[in-house]
Amino acid sequence: MITPLLQVSKLNVKAGKFALRGINFSINDPNYLIILGPTGCGKTMLLETIAGLRKPTAGKINLQGINITDCPPEKRGLGFAYQDSLLYPFLTVKENILFGAKARKKDKNPETVQRLHSLAEAMQIGHLLKRYPQALSGGEKQRVSLARAVLINPPILLLDEPLSALDPQTRHAMRNLLREIHLQEKIGIIHVTHDFNEALQLGSHLIVMNQGEILQEGKPIEIFNQPNSLFVANFLQCENIIKGKIKRENGSLKFVSLENNWSISPLPTHKCAKKTHNEKVYLSLHAWQIKLAPQGNIVSSNTNHWPAIIKNVIIHASHVEITCQGQGFWNINLSRNEWHELDLQVGSAVTLMINTDDVHLIYE
Amino acid sequence: MRNMDLRFQNNPSFLGQLFIGTFWLVFALTSLFFIGVIAGLISYSDLATIRNVLGQAEFRYAIKFTLLTSITATIFAVIVALPCGYILSRYDMPGKVILDTLVDIPIILPPLVSGIALLIFFGPVFGDSLAKIGVNVVFSKLGVVVAQWFVATPYAIRTFQQAFNSIDPRMEKVAKTLGYSPTQVFLKVTIPLAKMALIGGVMMSWARALGEFGATAMLAGITRMKTETLSVAIFLNMSIGDMDFAIATAVVMLCLALLLLVFVKTLIKNGVRL
Repeated sequence: MITPLLQVSKLNVKAGKFALRGINFSINDPNYLIILGPTGCGKTMLLETIAGLRKPTAGKINLQGINITDCPPEKRGLGFAYQDSLLYPFLTVKENILFGAKARKKDKNPETVQRLHSLAEAMQIGHLLKRYPQALSGGEKQRVSLARAVLINPPILLLDEPLSALDPQTRHAMRNLLREIHLQEKIGIIHVTHDFNEALQLGSHLIVMNQGEILQEGKPIEIFNQPNSLFVANFLQCENIIKGKIKRENGSLKFVSLENNWSISPLPTHKCAKKTHNEKVYLSLHAWQIKLAPQGNIVSSNTNHWPAIIKNVIIHASHVEITCQGQGFWNINLSRNEWHELDLQVGSAVTLMINTDDVHLIYE
Repeated sequence: MRNMDLRFQNNPSFLGQLFIGTFWLVFALTSLFFIGVIAGLISYSDLATIRNVLGQAEFRYAIKFTLLTSITATIFAVIVALPCGYILSRYDMPGKVILDTLVDIPIILPPLVSGIALLIFFGPVFGDSLAKIGVNVVFSKLGVVVAQWFVATPYAIRTFQQAFNSIDPRMEKVAKTLGYSPTQVFLKVTIPLAKMALIGGVMMSWARALGEFGATAMLAGITRMKTETLSVAIFLNMSIGDMDFAIATAVVMLCLALLLLVFVKTLIKNGVRL
């Protein structure tokens, strides 16, 4: 049996009236774990507890099979970087990066100096080593902060919203840098964020948290396609969520909307965890799972389809966001090419289509 | 239409001008008054008299004694204020509000009242016990240091507390994850980050100790060439009518105060407010 890189078991942490409750998860060696949740859900608190900066009231943390629950932070050797870099203004960039090595009295070792230069080169901050943090841009500061955390060769890098304080261009470059660090340094990363795009682009594993509890855990794309609760579906910005009931008709299962009796059938049985008649459920569909065609053109016979009218169109750089009305309001995303080829506009009559295999049901 | 035209005129109204004009007038008069008071003191004495007073044994004793006692008191104030300021800044505890308010009491109390309280504490309350181990605070040189320490310490605690408040605790947390023990974090991160504000606090406390009179007079007494600080020297010589000595000493104290203020203001751009 492979020992997990980090294993957190039944962890409880209290801070005033807020508490983390029953946190269980583990990460293996090559994992890039994303902890996703809204502001105030306890993500940073969890990260600080793993780092040893907060004491848990119950539970256990194992690092490479060793219990470190009571180990002080300075002995854990985990790298930590906050969103606002927090460089020491009285030290140069070089001294900041070597700060961890200095604690171990290794800052003058030839290997450390060589590692400093190779890291600085990889992070494109080699030319900034003699500067003070006050003279750096936000992106440069964050690179230095990462280099400082990585230099001590931590088995795990803990990142608290490392991209949220950066502008879009810098964020893109930093995202690539994080991926590179993860692959080249072979470090396990736990990255806390409230941005689902970061989870999809970087994470090999995802945990969704709310109010001090883990709600769902799995591969990012699986959670994206199959949220297990209304909160997760909403937080992951699932564009179409409809409240309804499961009905049994002629031996097959059918979803009926509570709002307007719109229905789709037959529901694939493997999609229905509970098959009770009149079971209350939410149907979730991503905007790209609904197909759109000019009225009369039906693409496939195994689809559910119904008429609608285009009510609004917003053109983004990467895609087109369309709102249609017909048996309720529907949000649909098309690529700009698809939209251009359809040659439609606001007010056009269209047919909306769903493949029942794409349907995901969330139980109340 | 006419009203609209008036509304968009650039000239402020007469009342507006009068309002700001009054502020300027009060500001100018107050500044003039302060300058007048200081200039009056300096002009009342001449350089030859000051030079003569500076050469006198009593003045030399007073200035040496003041520097010795105030620096000693400040050192002890810093030793006490560093942990107190840090605890008040970083930790919550039951009754923190009460402890926090206690620190303010010596700042608010008239120094004479502080002096009486100290006199009772080191006299009737603990005087005998302290005497048994050879420590005599009342009417002694040590009393001067104790009185100065008592009035200077709350200033040091407050300024240090604010200095630590201004540091993001996450700066310290990062150092811990990088391998620094709590002691190392305090010495290598907290102190360097708060350095300027801490120096400001030390200077403010020293200034407070330097000018102390009321509490010193009550606890250590007013004895020429024994417990004679500069403030005590001014009082003693004023009371016997030696205006030249009193005024020359006052001018020296004024210069010391100005030097300290210039030093502090140059050091701390962000300021540590009391």
